[in-house]
Amino acid sequence: MDIRDVIQNQIGSHPVVLYMKGSADFPQCGFSANAVRLLRSCGVDQIHTVDVLQDPAIRQGIKEFSNWPTVPQLYVNGEFVGGSDIMTEMYQSGELAALLKPAH
Amino acid sequence: MVLPDDVRRYIAQGLACEHLQVTGDGQHFEALIVSEAFEGKSRVARHQVVYAALGDRMRQEIHALSMQTLTPAQWAAVGQDKA
Repeated sequence: MDIRDVIQNQIGSHPVVLYMKGSADFPQCGFSANAVRLLRSCGVDQIHTVDVLQDPAIRQGIKEFSNWPTVPQLYVNGEFVGGSDIMTEMYQSGELAALLKPAH
Repeated sequence: MVLPDDVRRYIAQGLACEHLQVTGDGQHFEALIVSEAFEGKSRVARHQVVYAALGDRMRQEIHALSMQTLTPAQWAAVGQDKA
């Protein structure tokens, strides 16, 4: 399967998908840890995470798919929301909680 | 090693900025970017504008770049003392 189809399938199958380094319980990067922390603060307990360190094709593929050069990347209901900075801004303004409320 | 001034120059070469400030340690950088080019754009689109300005350097030289992307009006509203 083409990597774009794999990603499309992932973001289509789960309302909240976080592409990150490591796992939710063992993040391998401070930015990924921040992303998990923000999602949990918004009440998302079951985060569907994809560890890009486990799959070089996904690691490269998600950057092209989103036109975004860094990880973490958050998708909600199939839409790209942003990375760690944008999640932080949206958390502080209350937008992230509002976005996630119907999604989990 | 890439210095904050280098990152600042890379961004300035690809994007007209009203204000541009970069700090960092050679691996992780933080930028405050004020540009009219952000007008009417979502946060994602604003970051994509900056990433486009950085091009391959973002993939090869810069591990991580935290950004605040503001329009001139937003910058005036938050108060320039924040910068």
